[in-house]
Amino acid sequence: MKAVENGSTSIGIKAKDGVVLAVEKIVNSKLLVPGKNKRIQTIDRHIGVAYSGLLPDGRHFVNRGRDEASTYSNMYKEPVSIPHLMDRLGLYVQNYTCYNSVRPFGVVSIVGGVDANGPHLYMIEPSGTYWGYTGAATGKGRQTAKSELEKLNFEELTVREAVKHAARIIRQAHEDNKDKDYELEITWCSLEETGGQHQFVPEDLLQEAIKFAQEEDDEDDEDEEDTEMAT
Amino acid sequence: MFRNNYDNDSVTYSPTGRLFQVEYALEAIKQGSAAVGITSGSHVVLVALKRNAEELGSYQKKIIKVDDHMGIALAGLAPDARVLSNYLRKLAMNSKLVFNRPLLTSKAVLSIADKAQENTQLYGSRPYGVGLLVAGWDETGAHLYEFQPSGSVLEYNGAAIGARSQAARTYLERNLDAIRSCTEIEELVVHGLNALRDTLSQDMELTIQNTSVSFVGKDKDFTIHDNEDVQQWLDKLDSTSNDKNNANDDEDDDNDEPAEGTATAADSTQPELTQEGAAADDNMETD
Repeated sequence: MKAVENGSTSIGIKAKDGVVLAVEKIVNSKLLVPGKNKRIQTIDRHIGVAYSGLLPDGRHFVNRGRDEASTYSNMYKEPVSIPHLMDRLGLYVQNYTCYNSVRPFGVVSIVGGVDANGPHLYMIEPSGTYWGYTGAATGKGRQTAKSELEKLNFEELTVREAVKHAARIIRQAHEDNKDKDYELEITWCSLEETGGQHQFVPEDLLQEAIKFAQEEDDEDDEDEEDTEMAT
Repeated sequence: MFRNNYDNDSVTYSPTGRLFQVEYALEAIKQGSAAVGITSGSHVVLVALKRNAEELGSYQKKIIKVDDHMGIALAGLAPDARVLSNYLRKLAMNSKLVFNRPLLTSKAVLSIADKAQENTQLYGSRPYGVGLLVAGWDETGAHLYEFQPSGSVLEYNGAAIGARSQAARTYLERNLDAIRSCTEIEELVVHGLNALRDTLSQDMELTIQNTSVSFVGKDKDFTIHDNEDVQQWLDKLDSTSNDKNNANDDEDDDNDEPAEGTATAADSTQPELTQEGAAADDNMETD
């Protein structure tokens, strides 16, 4: 069951002023339209989701999240708080493990956003358990991504920096199983940068982040060569 | 008959995290005859190869119109495609009635994707056994989507589904730039038919009986052409049969059924056992 985690890598970073979500999209065919087939979705204006595993199940999960969020805001006339939403979604996902007439969700989802209490980042498993994170990773390259995430200083990090790191980490996670090309997708949500809304990062920032990732990568290679020379 | 213990229903994962029933549904698409779709940015063309069950029988319809701005081509179980196309027509009519505007192609495909996803997670139903190419023209431009029974939907510049469709995809990849820069529908149709021709087996050729052509785009309602109407495009092809078949086919194809022309739903009992596993790996959308 856990093997569905062989999907492409998704990560989430909680910075001091917001959250950043990023996914690695493997390009399976040259005929796919570049820049389309978006993978990160929005549950509510202030909440985004990235998931790995069976993509159609992820869509089901997001649809349920949207239902929950709109039901809440219709009833209480305020945006749903993220911990509460996660609680509801956790119950929903858990329900799919209880009966023989349904199968559990085949996705691990990273949910992030900003609400009245600041930024939040959660990761939810097919079992229905969810945990709060400052840096979350799932999918094939999660081991590499996790160890890279641990090196970040989350107290000081701004979302703008986090976007660059996200690009770098996805690139490094991809290195390990370098089989096919990939496309990078990054979204962010922060009070300062997006007015508390979950949005795709602007094209120029995305390109800047990709460039940064590439340069970092080249430097790493040089470092490795240096150490090899030394030994 | 069964490959293992984990394929009795679509709510059981195999220990490696695969859903065999869904993979079998993808297999059903490959038993169907080929359909090819391409888009130039302003227009979308769908072409398909029709089959007749017997010499005197009529040909199975392969392209269905949904609305003035949208249509689908199918490969696999035709009845399932009718269920989905009826649903799409309902959505399209509802969009016009309620919002007074044509249904977005992206909305349409994602709705059927979500519908198909339910069938893979709930006991008591089976996944749809049909793959669709959905072509549409709307306020966001021309779009071509491929729908799979797993509930996955992806947007393509060119796509092919059905028997021997790998050969068509190879053609599309080689000619992608030429296709994207097409300004005339006519050119686009010829590219589509060229790709379709590459899927043919040795003893077959494109005829006005077995070829369906349809297109939609800027200032152009979705129209389907059959029989005599198709002749004008067949005339523009350098050849209507697959000259360079077997030699190439063996490399490109994932399906080497020799008697393609006589294959019907009834005798479609030759699964390509050797390739089944590998092919399924390619198609099951796990990420």
